[in-house]
Amino acid sequence: MTTATQPLTITITENGARHVRQFMTAEGVERGVLRVAVKGGGCSGLTYVLDLKDEAQDDDKVIEQNGVTLAVDKKSYVFLAGTELDYSGGLNGKGFVFNNPNAKKACGCGTSFSV
Amino acid sequence: MPPIAADPAQYAAIAERAAFADRSACGRLRIAGADALDLLNRLTTNDLSSLPDGTARSTVLTNGDARVIDHLRLAAADGAIWCIASPGRAEAVAEWIDLYTFSEDVAVTDVSSETAHFAVAGPLAADALAAAGFPVPSLDSVELLGPHPGPLPEGEGVGQGSRPHGRSNNAGVVVASPFGAHIAYDVLLPLADADSAKAALRDAMEEADAAAFDAYRVAQGVPAYGAEFGAFNNPLEARLLGSISDEKGCYTGQEVIARLQTYRKVQRLLMAFAASAPAEAGDALADADGAPAGAVTSACDVGGRVFGLALVAAKHAVEGAALRLANGGEVALSEPAYAAGTGG
Repeated sequence: MTTATQPLTITITENGARHVRQFMTAEGVERGVLRVAVKGGGCSGLTYVLDLKDEAQDDDKVIEQNGVTLAVDKKSYVFLAGTELDYSGGLNGKGFVFNNPNAKKACGCGTSFSV
Repeated sequence: MPPIAADPAQYAAIAERAAFADRSACGRLRIAGADALDLLNRLTTNDLSSLPDGTARSTVLTNGDARVIDHLRLAAADGAIWCIASPGRAEAVAEWIDLYTFSEDVAVTDVSSETAHFAVAGPLAADALAAAGFPVPSLDSVELLGPHPGPLPEGEGVGQGSRPHGRSNNAGVVVASPFGAHIAYDVLLPLADADSAKAALRDAMEEADAAAFDAYRVAQGVPAYGAEFGAFNNPLEARLLGSISDEKGCYTGQEVIARLQTYRKVQRLLMAFAASAPAEAGDALADADGAPAGAVTSACDVGGRVFGLALVAAKHAVEGAALRLANGGEVALSEPAYAAGTGG
């Protein structure tokens, strides 16, 4: 018997990656990484953080997908493993969306979660 | 749980004059780092966007369900934050902060075992503290202890300069905090200075043991971890309104607290009581119809006078309301002084 498990990595959809590249262009960043992290706070206890950086840090887990390099620090990775990063656009869109299988609960605005 | 049986003389000393108590059982953390305040602001209920050196503020560490991890007293001094936690809670608080520290520059050190903590309380606490040679901060302020705080040589003024005798060169602090009807002062200092500080305090005022101090806490309506608040409730039930900012924005537990306040869904509220019969923490309270109305959280017996704190159903949390103990004793409710002054 086999058991389906969540892949222990972080992925970014093509749509998400395209928007990251657009933001990089707008910010004038030719080569850089998207830092994906978690920080304490927000109504549910943990808040997602996205940031464009010139390069990954030494201890980061680095993931390249759809033309974007994601850099995740080790502690954040514990809470983000299996997450798919997508982008929800349009008038009712939410911007970047974290589909995080570790999140047991999210706050009303969706920017923070608990595990 | 048996009632807090305070010695009437010691209780009178702290309730009518001033007394000091050894509060070293409380947790003491030193929180430092460039991001310390920002992290605490994100994790706790009060507005900590700014806490300049020399100021103090209370706040509540809550989980995502707004259950209380601890009620903290933060005092900024010398570029770091002294954090006074409840007895036995230093480790839990430090672990919680560490869990939510990612890339931030934050260092939490449990200094409980290397520091001493004395509380000076009572209506004449400020005078007594000054008489013991300690600086007297104003409410919500912090004063650094100089190298040699201690009893003054005869003829010197109060709280002026260093002393030629007494203490090590390690600085401690005095923190002024709301404590019901009066301000109480927490003296935090290195363990090496504890004996000389205690001697100075003893020269200036009476000493209250743990039971007498706890009875005074209850009389002033100051809630305590494990009795009035904890993992079993939210800070609104414990009436810790002075430690909760309605305007700071998101923090862990904020959504639940905002919802409880907006829709007036707080189920129970802390009230003070006087009882006509013996009471113990955990005793059930009933209304005139015999319906459950709450439970005693702390009970004191001081020379036969029974009083305490109780979490009662919100509809009964009214000044002057009467409830009944299972032993038939009558319980008269009143507003806790601490909550009435929004000291929490």
